[in-house]
Amino acid sequence: MRVLRWIIALMVAAGLCRVFPLFHAVPLKTAAAAKAAAAFNPAQFAETFWTGTLLTSLDRAVRADELVSLIQTDPAAAKKKYSRSIGLSEGYFYFLRGEGKILSVSDDEVIIAVTGGGTRAEVSLQAGLIFGNAVRDGTGLLSANDYPNSQDFNDISAALNHLVETSVQPKLRAQAKAGARISFAGCAEVNDEAADLKPLKVIPLQTQSE
Amino acid sequence: MKTNWIKQAFAAGLSMAVLLFTQTSSAQAAPKQKIAVVVSTLNNPWFVVLGETAKARAVELGYEATLFDSQNDTAKEAAHFENLIAGGYRAVLFNPTDANGSIANVEKAKAAGIPVFCIDREINSTNAATAQMLSDSYSGCVKLGQLFVKTVGKEGEYAELLGIVGDNNTWNRSKGFHSVVDRYPGLKMVAQQSGEFDRAKGMEVMESILQAHPDLRGVFCGNDAMAMGAYQALVTAGKMDQVKVFGFDGADDVVRSIAEGKIVATGMQFPKKMAQQSAEFADQYIKGKRDFAQKIPVPVELVTRENVGKYGDYGKK
Repeated sequence: MRVLRWIIALMVAAGLCRVFPLFHAVPLKTAAAAKAAAAFNPAQFAETFWTGTLLTSLDRAVRADELVSLIQTDPAAAKKKYSRSIGLSEGYFYFLRGEGKILSVSDDEVIIAVTGGGTRAEVSLQAGLIFGNAVRDGTGLLSANDYPNSQDFNDISAALNHLVETSVQPKLRAQAKAGARISFAGCAEVNDEAADLKPLKVIPLQTQSE
Repeated sequence: MKTNWIKQAFAAGLSMAVLLFTQTSSAQAAPKQKIAVVVSTLNNPWFVVLGETAKARAVELGYEATLFDSQNDTAKEAAHFENLIAGGYRAVLFNPTDANGSIANVEKAKAAGIPVFCIDREINSTNAATAQMLSDSYSGCVKLGQLFVKTVGKEGEYAELLGIVGDNNTWNRSKGFHSVVDRYPGLKMVAQQSGEFDRAKGMEVMESILQAHPDLRGVFCGNDAMAMGAYQALVTAGKMDQVKVFGFDGADDVVRSIAEGKIVATGMQFPKKMAQQSAEFADQYIKGKRDFAQKIPVPVELVTRENVGKYGDYGKK
């Protein structure tokens, strides 16, 4: 009788374990794949953001001729009116778009004039390696407050910079011919006004020959 | 009748004097509100400056402030939180030990109605702390990476000393640096080891790296304590001119070393600025403010031999 009780108890326990297993055995490869799928994918995020949000928001950018004219006459007023900054930073960003005449072309930059006379080196479209957070932070479309882990937010910067280098700059280099006209949209980061404003160093987000 | 009037006036005067005296005494005896400053470690001068400055600013603002040392141990940090919740603290200025492991402590304080303001180090949550004031380590190390390439060149072997692997700052610094240096295939990282943000450990790790890789041309260190340790190892090996050392923090001894031409550069993080601002946030919260940005980046500035004169005492002069 006692043995029978034990057998019944074991059978009930086995049945419960079957319905509510204490642990699951998962192949290592499956576990690794699940972890990778759950992890943040900055490249994928950047692609979606680029086409779905960034390129459809370029009309929010300030007109380059207006901005450059104000920088030339009153840089403090230009900063107050058109810039954005992050946290306690003294550096700031501009998000701009416009047209201009290409004055010169080198491996690292395409120099253009965007105001009246078309002879002054006013904007330098960056054609070399892209570093930093100007693309991520310059538009105001992304916020650190939305990312629990700042590593994810920083990875977005690298992924966006990669998109500029692979999708935008090759087209810019093909279009860049001294004397030609070009339209563009981009972001500029200003940390040192003496070095960064004249010409304004702009990371291109979109370019089009006219 | 006249005597009665005098007696009544005297009694009323006495009562008022007693009332005034007791009110003054009770006002004097009213305990100050308390703010806790919980710091990951006090075994590193940079964090001592961070903690002491936060405490001093809280005292200036009229609070009683206590500094707790977590000794880089999440369990000790948890015990501090238990104590400060039970001890009636009104706010916590917090430098966490672990981006994930410290979240539970912050959540406990939040559940007890105590706001937590993270300083310098982040927790991986956007709804536990009231605000997080964080050095922009990534951008700072992008700048250091650019200077590294300019100084060391586009070819050669280099090493990296990482900080504590559970800390986001470790990886934000490393990733910022590599976002630049990895673009130059001629630069080869031959060793990447943790020196745990510690000077002695940094020296020990650098000694062993030098034995295996005698041709190093540069070393990037995730903080200044490790940079000082690495430089000491290089002096012992007689390679201090061959291997260029880069740190991060803006510690006073490294700023002096940069001025003397020993260490090449560091990233100035402004611990005093962050600590003071966090104490002011806590004061504003206690007085009723609630709308704080969750993550507030604090810029990092590059300190080199060219501009070192502008920096010192853990900030800009």
